[in-house]
Amino acid sequence: MATNDAPVLRIDGYGLSYQTRSGPVRALSDISLNISHGRTLGLVGESGSGKSSMAYSVMRYLAPNAREDGGRILLEGEDLRTLSPAAIARIRGRRAAMVFQDPSTSLNPAMTLGDQITEVLERHRGLDRPAARAEGEAALARTGILRPADMMRRYPHQASGGEKQRVVIATAFACQPALIVFDEPTTALDTITAQGILELFRILQTETGVSALYISHDLALVSRVADDVAVIHDGRIVETGAPGEIFSAPRNTYTKALIAAVPRPDRWMGVPPPAVDAVPVLAADRIGVLYGAPSRLAQRLGIKGRPHWGARNVSLSVRPGELLGIVGESGSGKSTIAKVLAGLIDFGGGVSFEGRDFRKRKDFDSAYRRAVQIVFQHPDASLNPRQTIGRILARPLIIYGLAPRAERPARVRALLERVRLPAEFAERYPHQLSGGEKQRVAIARAFAAEPELVICDEITAALDVSVQASVAELLMDLQRETGTACLFITHDLNLVRQLAHRIAVMQDGLLVDIFDRNGAEDPDRAQYTRALLDAVPKPAGVKPPTPFEATL
Amino acid sequence: MTLGYLVRRFGAVLLVLAIVTFAVFAVTMLLPGNAAIMILGEYGSDDQIAALEKQLNLNRPWWEQYASWVGGALQGDFGMSLRLSLPVTEVVLPALANSAALAAVALLAVTLIAIPLGAYAALHRGKPADLIIGLFAYIGASMPEFVTATLLLVIFAGPGREFLPAGGFVAPGESIIGFLSHVALPATALGLVLMAHISRQVRSEMSDVLASDFVRAARLKGLTERRVVWRHALPNSLAPAIAVISLDIGYLLGGIIVVEEIFAWPGLGRLLIYALENRDLPVIQAVTLLLAMVYALSNLLSDIVIAAFDPRVRYG
Amino acid sequence: MAELLRSPTGIAGTVLLSIVIAMAALGPFIAPYDPQTFHPIARLQGPSWAHLLGTDQFGRDILSRLLDGAPSTISFGLGATLLGVAAGSFIGVVAGVAGGAVDSVIMRLVDGLLAIPDLLFTLLIVTILGGGTGYAMLAVAVAFTPGMARISRSAVLSVRTRDYVLAAQARGESWGWIVGFEVLPNALSPIIVEATIRVAFAIMIGATLGFLGLGAQPPSTEWGLMVAEARQFMFRNPWMVAVPGIAIALAALGFNLFGDALRDALDPRGRR
Repeated sequence: MATNDAPVLRIDGYGLSYQTRSGPVRALSDISLNISHGRTLGLVGESGSGKSSMAYSVMRYLAPNAREDGGRILLEGEDLRTLSPAAIARIRGRRAAMVFQDPSTSLNPAMTLGDQITEVLERHRGLDRPAARAEGEAALARTGILRPADMMRRYPHQASGGEKQRVVIATAFACQPALIVFDEPTTALDTITAQGILELFRILQTETGVSALYISHDLALVSRVADDVAVIHDGRIVETGAPGEIFSAPRNTYTKALIAAVPRPDRWMGVPPPAVDAVPVLAADRIGVLYGAPSRLAQRLGIKGRPHWGARNVSLSVRPGELLGIVGESGSGKSTIAKVLAGLIDFGGGVSFEGRDFRKRKDFDSAYRRAVQIVFQHPDASLNPRQTIGRILARPLIIYGLAPRAERPARVRALLERVRLPAEFAERYPHQLSGGEKQRVAIARAFAAEPELVICDEITAALDVSVQASVAELLMDLQRETGTACLFITHDLNLVRQLAHRIAVMQDGLLVDIFDRNGAEDPDRAQYTRALLDAVPKPAGVKPPTPFEATL
Repeated sequence: MTLGYLVRRFGAVLLVLAIVTFAVFAVTMLLPGNAAIMILGEYGSDDQIAALEKQLNLNRPWWEQYASWVGGALQGDFGMSLRLSLPVTEVVLPALANSAALAAVALLAVTLIAIPLGAYAALHRGKPADLIIGLFAYIGASMPEFVTATLLLVIFAGPGREFLPAGGFVAPGESIIGFLSHVALPATALGLVLMAHISRQVRSEMSDVLASDFVRAARLKGLTERRVVWRHALPNSLAPAIAVISLDIGYLLGGIIVVEEIFAWPGLGRLLIYALENRDLPVIQAVTLLLAMVYALSNLLSDIVIAAFDPRVRYG
Repeated sequence: MAELLRSPTGIAGTVLLSIVIAMAALGPFIAPYDPQTFHPIARLQGPSWAHLLGTDQFGRDILSRLLDGAPSTISFGLGATLLGVAAGSFIGVVAGVAGGAVDSVIMRLVDGLLAIPDLLFTLLIVTILGGGTGYAMLAVAVAFTPGMARISRSAVLSVRTRDYVLAAQARGESWGWIVGFEVLPNALSPIIVEATIRVAFAIMIGATLGFLGLGAQPPSTEWGLMVAEARQFMFRNPWMVAVPGIAIALAALGFNLFGDALRDALDPRGRR
């Protein structure tokens, strides 16, 4: 592919800082990168690493308080930093285009999808309306949209996430640019949809020979997409190389830590499995949750809602000391199950726990609620911002009568120590803690109740990769110490395969598959499980890279 | 636009109006003083009072009075004015027309000035123009109508500088110039608070939209600034602006009471003050109901206009 | 608090508000003249060294009357808002916490009452209760109640579904604890911001009622009433209407600016 050796994008000694109240803050230092024709450079970093600043610097879209500290950004040999705003506007969308993270916010809600493509064609290629529409339809067709003419007439809210992202990609490719900047284009999408988008990107890149700067936090994913990988940390490129090299032989200490933190299904972190014949600590029997059911008054008035099943006929059981993983995409009903078992929503069916049966939400008493604890996804939202950490952690001790008043401060300190936080944190408020620290507090609160079962609802989803790994390790240590069973809900198959003894798969409110961790590759796996497993990007070096399979 | 949405919104308006009729009726039932005594004065004989009470249905239980009032109102019959010896409808309708003329001029001026002003401020955030508009908006929002009105009179209608008439009314059919010169001061007094409020709202909506992902995406598609503003930013900030305007109509309807009183404008507000002073129950009820109805309908209208701007509502 | 003084809005609001509060607290004591004393030789005068803001038709010192009227004017706004906020928040919190049918019924009623313009509502209530400062204050409070109910309900609703509230429910906490310690403390700031801005509005309505003769009665020095009494003479001495009129506007401006700055300071999203 690479016939032309002159780089399409060349960044030379580039630096950027932001002016803040407390003085300038460096975002990028001495960045040098090259992307040649038809190649993809993956720029990988955690939140705050400066990867997005780099993307927007290339597109010449700088925050008002940004100051550039020297260097050059050359697009096909032309230094973008020297160009006037008008010249930049002619380059954007035509020679350098961008694909954004979330298609539901990057498309104008009040404009048809067709208009949002054709405006680019009209602007940059000087096409008239009919020609632009014809070309727009063709562009949509190339992205695998089946009825492009129909899609042109729709508004964003009438298209699915995957369709919208295809429209954004079609728009980016519309003027045959030399470079496309991808800013986490699959992060907001479900695994299977994301895989389709990545595959589309590959096809279009081969067809058009475009060069790409691919920004992501996900090393595993980038190693699948990119020809070269650059790892960025604290605004500096710490390592560059081919994906396979970086994964197998990282040189930089940060890269090493980052790679160690990437979940790999082949590296077991969990506790020893419980006996197969152990009596389950909790069993759910045909749980059903109907959302949007009309109230009795509405029924009487003949008002019909559009109810849908959040969960339907879900039966599962957890053995003492076991970690049962539940995976599924957004809307699959996995969080609904968490809420049912935590006693937060009404349900049909039954729950039996330590030999007692519960038929409805009101049945869950204090004893059950102590024994079954829940940890939520967003650490920012799960701690009351107006209570100190000490007060938050003391609460379970108070309501379950676990410690007399005099002992509580000591117990709180012990809890903080167990989740490896300093004892002084008891005096602090949640906003003074980082995301990972807050999640540790939430875990400590759950374990304060000395539970038999802890429900973890996507507890690592909002955290950076390295923090994610340490939280998972903490959970494993606690499980080892206490023998507590755990229901681990996640969308991350790689992660759950490191932790779970058994994995349940949910789709559209139904439990479609449940299997032992060693049975993931069995031929009798449900078709949907197979599709999920195939769609997950595995880190390079785990297995020989499998070619993308068409799942359209 | 879906029919179901319209029907639902209209149903909500009817429900609101039902509650309003009840509230208005309850309020007037609680008014101190017996209407019959008021009409006849302190010296009416007991027989006369009893006869009039019967005629006015005052001796019947409240729910029957309510039912007969609502029944009449539905047919456009609000009874007789107690003081003016005229059917309420004949008193209220011309006043409504006059008030509508004043409100329409004020609202039109406000909309035409405040929306561009707010949009301009948002596009020039932090620049002197934005700060001046912001300052004006704060001051405008802090001046009650009677203060603005009085100051306007002192400045524009004082002795020796009678640029504009200090009060009164000329119908637009009679003389359009006369109407405009008479409406100028009251409309300004009425509109200043709204202008301040709406321009601030438009500025904040527009700022949010300008900072949104899709406007950034439009800029990064290399579109011209003109297209970004007119085609992407503005249509998305108008719907919330219209919602604000329709809510502000409630404020306008309150302001109209004071402004009409000060400028001797023969509209609903002036009529209401007169009726309140004279305990003219049927007039109070009719005017209040009418104002609430105008408010509810204007909210309905704004919902329809918003739906026209926002496809998410249109196809909801 | 330091956050408040960072923006020009916050500084201007805080300064104005301090002046207004100082006037309300100390006004009658620092007035140079007795507000009701006639000075027949100095009637309808403009500003002079003897009378800094001029005199009215009886030769009473306008500055002294202004200072004397500050407590009643400002306390009217504060009192009416406090009552309205208390009643409205109570209703809104009950509706938001109870949910279901209780919520629907309360909110339909509130919607109905909100369809009556504030000033009209106030006028109707004043007419039932009769004029005078106390009743006028009550009337404004009643007129504020539905709006405050709506705002506090939505504040409660936005907090009610937060994870920490769910966590408390999952723990098996009592209703009282969840409402009192998890929901209310976090729902308070939008209510406080709205209340601050409403004080401005209450001052304006109070003055309007005074102006219409339905609020404070002569010889009170309430600022709205001062404007009303001065109207007859406004062409002969514009200071008579301008001084109390602008004072009302500045008091309202102070609360408006302060409320907006408070909103920005409390907004977790930071700069808006």
